[in-house]
Amino acid sequence: MTPETQQHGVVRRVIATPRFFLAIVIIALVIFFGSVKPAFFSGPFVIAPLLTSVAIFTVVGLAQMMVLSIGHMNLAVGQMASFGAMFMGMSYDLWKLPLLVGLGIGLVAGAAVGGLSGWLVARTGVNSFIVTLAMSFALIGLVPTAYSALATGSAFIAKPSGLDVIGRDSFASFCFAGYCGPNAIPIIVVPAIVVMLIVGYLYARTRLGRELLMTGSNVKAATLSGIPTGRRIVLAHALSGLLAALAGFFLASSTGSFTPGIGDEFMLQSFVGPILGGTLLAGGYISVSGTFLGIVLTLLIRKGLDLFGVGIETLNVLLGLILIIALSTDRIRLLARRRSVKRVQQTDALLIEGNPL
Amino acid sequence: MTETYALEATHLTKSFPGVKALDRVSLRLKPGEVHALLGENGAGKSTLIKILTGVHRADDGTIAIDGRDREISSPIEAMAAGIGVVHQERNVVPEFTVGENIVLSRMPRRAGRVDWNTVRSEAKRCLALLDLSIDPDTPMTRLSAAQTQLVEIARGLYTETNVLLLDEPTASISANEADRLFTVVRRLREQGKAVLFVSHKLEEVFAHCDTVSVLRDGKAVLESSPLHSHSRDEIVDIMVGRALAALEVPDRVIDDSAPAVLEMRGVATSVGHHDVSLAVRSGEILGLYGLVGAGRTELARSILGLDRITAGSLEVRGSAVTIRSVRQALQDHRIGYVTENRKEEGVFLGQSVARNIAVTVWAKLERALGFVSTKSERSLGATFVGDLDIRVSSQSQLVGELSGGNQQKVSLAKWLAAKTEILIIDEPTVGIDVRTKRSFYDLIWRLADEGLAILLISSDLAEMVTLADRIAVMDQFAITGELDNTHDYDSMSQSIIRLIHGTQVA
Ligand SMILES: Nc1ncnc2c1ncn2[C@@H]1O[C@H](COP(=O)(O)OP(=O)(O)OP(=O)(O)O)[C@@H](O)[C@H]1O
Ligand SMILES: [Mg+2]
Repeated sequence: MTPETQQHGVVRRVIATPRFFLAIVIIALVIFFGSVKPAFFSGPFVIAPLLTSVAIFTVVGLAQMMVLSIGHMNLAVGQMASFGAMFMGMSYDLWKLPLLVGLGIGLVAGAAVGGLSGWLVARTGVNSFIVTLAMSFALIGLVPTAYSALATGSAFIAKPSGLDVIGRDSFASFCFAGYCGPNAIPIIVVPAIVVMLIVGYLYARTRLGRELLMTGSNVKAATLSGIPTGRRIVLAHALSGLLAALAGFFLASSTGSFTPGIGDEFMLQSFVGPILGGTLLAGGYISVSGTFLGIVLTLLIRKGLDLFGVGIETLNVLLGLILIIALSTDRIRLLARRRSVKRVQQTDALLIEGNPL
Repeated sequence: MTETYALEATHLTKSFPGVKALDRVSLRLKPGEVHALLGENGAGKSTLIKILTGVHRADDGTIAIDGRDREISSPIEAMAAGIGVVHQERNVVPEFTVGENIVLSRMPRRAGRVDWNTVRSEAKRCLALLDLSIDPDTPMTRLSAAQTQLVEIARGLYTETNVLLLDEPTASISANEADRLFTVVRRLREQGKAVLFVSHKLEEVFAHCDTVSVLRDGKAVLESSPLHSHSRDEIVDIMVGRALAALEVPDRVIDDSAPAVLEMRGVATSVGHHDVSLAVRSGEILGLYGLVGAGRTELARSILGLDRITAGSLEVRGSAVTIRSVRQALQDHRIGYVTENRKEEGVFLGQSVARNIAVTVWAKLERALGFVSTKSERSLGATFVGDLDIRVSSQSQLVGELSGGNQQKVSLAKWLAAKTEILIIDEPTVGIDVRTKRSFYDLIWRLADEGLAILLISSDLAEMVTLADRIAVMDQFAITGELDNTHDYDSMSQSIIRLIHGTQVA
């Protein structure tokens, strides 16, 4: 194959993905919102908050994607987030620990509950749907009880130094030689991008990521190929819990306090993002950039309709509809993915034969 | 006077991206004939059958049943047109019972409800046609690969059809079970039905078929020719497209004094084996022969710790071991296992060819930070795609898109890639074509010469007699005897049959 045909192949492969479609819709919506309501482009009031929620919810989406990769679900993402965040709040408020130490404790707590779900699933063979549903009920009871026992006014409000920088500042507060960064871009996008890169690296480049995908693809074959599938299941759930806790941290840092309701909005979004982006519910195929784009799209719609004064109830109905569409296309996509792979190969083949397609 | 054909397909064409699976292929089935459809892996046989049964739609071409043109755009329409089929890949519902699976295409009903008594009696009737005594209430999950295949055949016999299409029905069953199928096929022929039969086992093709068509790379290279006007070698050459040299069995020297690397002493297992003793030396191929259900696969599974060993000892390289998982077998003891059940346990249908092959060696390809380079994966894959002649359009093709035989090669390749020192191979050449079988045999001999110890499980007696150095015979979960292989098919097969029936009579 000549480099040129390879390039054609790459181009076609990109076009054939749901990512490409999402990106087109996102650009169209931005242009639409911006031209009808120029206020949409107001940096600090619209774009910056939008990017902040994109950063938070991308991490939420990745938390769900972790378990989707092995063909499982985590219905307790929200509760794992609030559970992890609770430990962070306690670290700062009760024990006066510094930012990163408290963050570490909270992440470990999130990973621990996630790992526990994973262990129960791997050990008992009960469907992850049921195990994580039970887990979410347990945490829904536990977390507020702990808050009302330990926190004043049902929230931990002590802020370690640096929390506001992550959650509230934008690049405008970073100045160099008289020039300051744009106030439309919040600092929080930086750690979110780092997380995306790490998760992307995990799946695209490492043995562990590949083994997670193989486990999702065919767990029996994976076991019989020497993959420790039980441990991989625990790992996927633990990472899911860890990322959920991280998202909880991001949300708390942007609102300024650690409360029991931190993950309440997470569950629905966590599915919409990955599935719109091409991740298969059945396992074995994920997309980090797709998850990001899926989250951008839903939050963009939310923000845009907000500008038009559409109420939150209507927004939620809309979000539900988007989820249904996303879920029903999941199956279609499984087929379409196969077809798109083939289409690429077909065009490659035609080009090899010298057919000027 | 023009003849009416039970089924006449004209100029069927079907493209999949990257490959023309069928190119203006015609097929004519006469009433009362058994028609062989032959061709190498990926030649297009299954694709043809899938088009005739409405699973795929042809891009072009027509289908006529009893002289009249028919649109067949769904499996239901194929059934209505009187076409029955046994597909190459298993299509059973594992959660259902044997009986339910057999009658699935048309559940007997009474007053709007499923009539369970009829389900059972109908299932029993179909199973009886094949001399099977499986209880219709058995859950599918309890059956072995071969039993599943037999149930699948029974299901194909459930509805009355004028045309029966059989896509490698005998691939994973042994000669005895196959014979019962051929009894049924002969009866169908007498009743004036048309049967299309796909197989890579040329012996049975020559024994039971009347007419032959051959596909090569999607084209019909031989159309409806009387089978017995050709010799076996001729047919093989037509399939391959050139003259294929005869298989040379190498003169293998086994060092009898060498210590065994894998040895079982008086082993009993949780699944019912008793007093099993076996030993394989480095560089040796030990065949484990037996009928379906004799307990061979189960023995392999208990070596890998998938079933428990309850008495006796398992020794690897001279020291007693307890193995709990395939992973442990692979990493601690360098033992590999090629499963007999490729679709469920062997391959990852939704993953690329490259990843399917590299899955056992990621631990070795791993660099700092868990990094595994796609390049190293692909160069490994390229070796096996070449060595085993796996037909792919690229290494990123999903394994689910390969032909059955090519999937089997992928399932095999991943364990050859693992470069283990002990390899247990369970029915390795199921559905693999003649030419690849030969290159596979050569490969196995080469690996054995390099010192690999091989435990070969196969229901194909000819393959056993060709490949193995020694043959152990298993019946009813016990070893009934062991023979040095003389590579003489007739005498070996007689001794083996005697060992099997010896215990049954006793
Ligand atoms: N769904 C599919 N998508 C893409 N390619 C396909 C698909 N199904 C079959 N093919 C390709 O079509 C060709 C013919 O496949 P087919 O399954 O008909 O072969 P076959 O003759 O039955 O081989 P075997 O003896 O291995 O069963 C192969 O190259 C295969 O890769
Ligand atoms: Mg086939």
